Amino acid sequence: MVLKNYFGEMTERIKSFRSALLDISPKVCTERAVLATRAYREHESEQVILKRAYMLKEVLENMTIYIEPQTLIAGNQASENRAAPIFPEYAMDWIIAELDDFEKRNGDRFLISEENKQILRDIYPYWKGRTLQDKAYTAYPESARTIYDIGIIRNEGNITSGDAHLAVDYENVLKNGLSSVRERAAEKLKNIDYADFNDMKASYFYKAIIIATDAVEAFAKRYAALARAEAETAKPERKEELLRMAETCSRVPVQGARNFYEAVQSLWFIHLVLQIESNGHSLSFGRFDQYMLPYYEQSLKEGVPREELVELLENLWLKTLTINKIRSWGHTRFAAGSPMYQNITIGGQTADGKSAVNDLTYAVLQSIGRTKLPQPNLTVRYFSGMSEEFMQDCIKMIKLGFGMPAFNNDEIVIPALKAQGVSEEDAFKYSAIGCVEVGVPGKWGYRCTGMSYLNFPKTLMIALNDGTDLTTGKKICEGVGKFTDMQTFEEVLAAWDFTARKLIRQGVILDNCADMVVEQEVPDVLCSALVADCIGRGKHLKEGGAVYDMISQLQVGVANLGDSLAAIKKCVFEDKTLTREQLWNAIVTDFGGEEGERIRKILLSAPKYGNDDDYVDELVVKGYDTYLDEIKKYKNTRYGRGPIGGNYYAGTSSVAANVPQGAGTCATPDGRHAGEPLAEGCSPAHSMDTHGPTSVFKSVSKLRTEQIAGGVLLNQKVTPQILSEQKDCDKLSMLVRTFFDDLHGFHVQYNVVSRETLLDAQKHPENYKDLIVRVAGYSAFFTVLSTQTQNDIIARTEQVL
Amino acid sequence: MNKGYIFNIQKFCLHDGKGIRTDIFFCGCNLRCKWCCNPESWDISGEHACGAAAYTVDEVVKEVLKDKPFYDKSGGGATLTGGEVFCQQEFAEELCAKLRTERINIALETSGYTERENFKNLIRLVDFVFIDCKHYDDAVHKEGTGVSNSRILDNIKYLAESGRDYCVRIPVIPYYNDSGKDALSFADLFQKTGVKAVQLLPFHQLGEKKYADMKIPYLYKGFSQLHKEDLVGYAKILSDKDIRVTIGGTL
Repeated sequence: MVLKNYFGEMTERIKSFRSALLDISPKVCTERAVLATRAYREHESEQVILKRAYMLKEVLENMTIYIEPQTLIAGNQASENRAAPIFPEYAMDWIIAELDDFEKRNGDRFLISEENKQILRDIYPYWKGRTLQDKAYTAYPESARTIYDIGIIRNEGNITSGDAHLAVDYENVLKNGLSSVRERAAEKLKNIDYADFNDMKASYFYKAIIIATDAVEAFAKRYAALARAEAETAKPERKEELLRMAETCSRVPVQGARNFYEAVQSLWFIHLVLQIESNGHSLSFGRFDQYMLPYYEQSLKEGVPREELVELLENLWLKTLTINKIRSWGHTRFAAGSPMYQNITIGGQTADGKSAVNDLTYAVLQSIGRTKLPQPNLTVRYFSGMSEEFMQDCIKMIKLGFGMPAFNNDEIVIPALKAQGVSEEDAFKYSAIGCVEVGVPGKWGYRCTGMSYLNFPKTLMIALNDGTDLTTGKKICEGVGKFTDMQTFEEVLAAWDFTARKLIRQGVILDNCADMVVEQEVPDVLCSALVADCIGRGKHLKEGGAVYDMISQLQVGVANLGDSLAAIKKCVFEDKTLTREQLWNAIVTDFGGEEGERIRKILLSAPKYGNDDDYVDELVVKGYDTYLDEIKKYKNTRYGRGPIGGNYYAGTSSVAANVPQGAGTCATPDGRHAGEPLAEGCSPAHSMDTHGPTSVFKSVSKLRTEQIAGGVLLNQKVTPQILSEQKDCDKLSMLVRTFFDDLHGFHVQYNVVSRETLLDAQKHPENYKDLIVRVAGYSAFFTVLSTQTQNDIIARTEQVL
Repeated sequence: MNKGYIFNIQKFCLHDGKGIRTDIFFCGCNLRCKWCCNPESWDISGEHACGAAAYTVDEVVKEVLKDKPFYDKSGGGATLTGGEVFCQQEFAEELCAKLRTERINIALETSGYTERENFKNLIRLVDFVFIDCKHYDDAVHKEGTGVSNSRILDNIKYLAESGRDYCVRIPVIPYYNDSGKDALSFADLFQKTGVKAVQLLPFHQLGEKKYADMKIPYLYKGFSQLHKEDLVGYAKILSDKDIRVTIGGTL
């Protein structure tokens, strides 16, 4: 069955651009690496912040630029679209080590020419010992380094690439132009008292800002010149577009935007350059439908047809797809699909509690519903006053099956932010950053989430094994004895509590060390200049320039921890269906043999998180409480240096980390085999939620959400048939509204399961026990149906063009 | 305290009444419909139903109350279904009384095969009744379900006269009651009994695998499943007689 896309059709231009982008096999681009190396060599003796500014200038002045034949917006990240630039200042070892494997990866493949391989090998000697990774790894205190090496706590991404995970103050640049930022820095520079150490230090930062903003201006002007040159030979219609582009690029982002077209171009330049300055991902747009609204309305008033503005948006989304990032294979597995997480947030409420949804909100939804791409990552801010009309449009997008939009809930996020010390006014202005996490655009430092990952179930197993890792046999921390000697369940809980606290402390050490070295080696100039109040304080972001600076680590396998505790409590200490030795032997042998499988079945029948069963849900909360209590004790490297906060909090937006973290984790008492993925975010363990979505919501809502401000990630799966009729969509709306209004859930996103998934579910029913499908007005678990009926459902799975 | 045999308490059911509901599946059935999709429910002790257990009223109520926020938001509640609820009438009445004190909206799905007095005693406790009408002809009804339709029709008539909220459902089964002539005869019957609204449930084979599991023959093997669009003509015959028709299980 083929349905018309509710959101309408892309124009021919956009369709052609989109398919050209999708046809690309991503490559590695070495231009930035070469230019950065040249700038670093040339400015070796400068203060780091100045060296960073010269690097940006060198790249922006010399990198290849081009204007795609279909585009209305100028600006490219690398020598070809979707090619990943190399950022040598962060890390080079893995790049050189993996050069010959980029093309052979079984996911996230990148092509690279022999010539480019040689270019990278040639610059490698310069970077040896100079990269962020080299310096951070050397700086790690020994105890923490052991833990990093074994992989119980991972923060590889933090020392092999930039930070980002923030939204800058786009609103100000659009309105007042980058020149306002430059002028402010210049003004500050005039009044520097060089006899004052802090002032002197700030002077380099201000000089760097002037260099960087000049470089952005020159970069935009290069596009203006290119567009003008191309206009000379272009066909009349395209000529007109190119001339408009030339005029726009000579104005923005340096001056303020006057209409929607200028605003989009200005925004893109800034968003792009920030991703040339640093390769930190989750660089987000913030509340796009709010700060872009005046320009949108202005253009409508000037008589520009709405469809043209929607087309411009589609064009912008295609541009976000041109940005790419290559990660080490080790890190790739934590972020499969080379995601950039360029989040855009729409909807929500204004400070006076009114709906913030406007016509631009709908235009954004419409345009993303047409381009249907993994970028940008769309978040809708839910609040209880959200109109049903808008909710139903969101559900129509969910039905398109690309997992968007995700919902974040104002009703919990705003109070949670206020509890962290965010002002009332700013709390209402929050946006999603990356995927689930939240921050205040333009005022929040890097990585409101995205610090180290702590593997909860692995930590439990170390706790039960006297402080030694079962997989590697290495001693991780002081032990409290072996599980086989524990007489009561309370001893088990105490072992978890003791060990988790030790490891949480090590995680903080790793993170603080990484942040210390990032501050010393790779500060960002432009990014800092665009976040309040870096210029006012004369400090870049890592020095404490931001108004708010609270960060979160990621806790992986929350459900596995709770399920494991519940299985131990029930099977060993209460029902006594298993002895401690039986359970331990089964774990060590990965449930080997018939006896192992028998034991596994007993463990699987214990209560599981996600079924609204207090027995296990309370243990999840209790286990997590250790983390929440311990993490409160620690400060980040910006504490006491200006920002509000300067602390850590909890977060579960573990992206794809549950897969590699699971790969390195032995069998666990919840019945999970060694190597199998852990549960994602705060979602139930795979296929363990057998009581439907209301029970999942109830279980999740028992977590101390208000303290997990780094995000409580919940993925839900449905099939398109579940939403085939309007009545069903109405019920989904009520389901989500109950979760948010009454149960105070933080986040939910829906994966509408595709035909391919259904086919896979036929082949591997064991993996799809929780898959609900709808047939002829009835809902049923997919795997209990006969092949004939399954085939019927598959045949009737809607496909939307 | 009386215990009831229940083979499943299923959350987030969308198709048996208003809003988001929890379905309570009672064990035991006094009909033996050849197309039945829940053959595991036939035995009152739940012998064939995986997960069947004896529950106290309080245990069922506790489980139902877990989703109360969802009922409140969506206008949903609990649906008593089966099997046949009337096979455990005493338990059902106690359960309904308790659910009413908790202000839970109650729907009942029944074959309607019970004495008029029993029928009245239970339905006075529920907010909505779904009652099946499998065939208009008594002999054919007996042939397909094993019982006469006289009590059922009597109870449908009672419902139609009682002013209660209800809906008559016809499971449309190939070669049993799916012809145009059948639709016309149903229409005549409903006009006589005063039934104004009917829901058509297209035949499906969701239960096929269960027959194999229980090692009993499945008579509808290889029959093609009916879809909404297959019943459009059938529905028109009824609506031409001024009967309001919906197709599918959602209200």
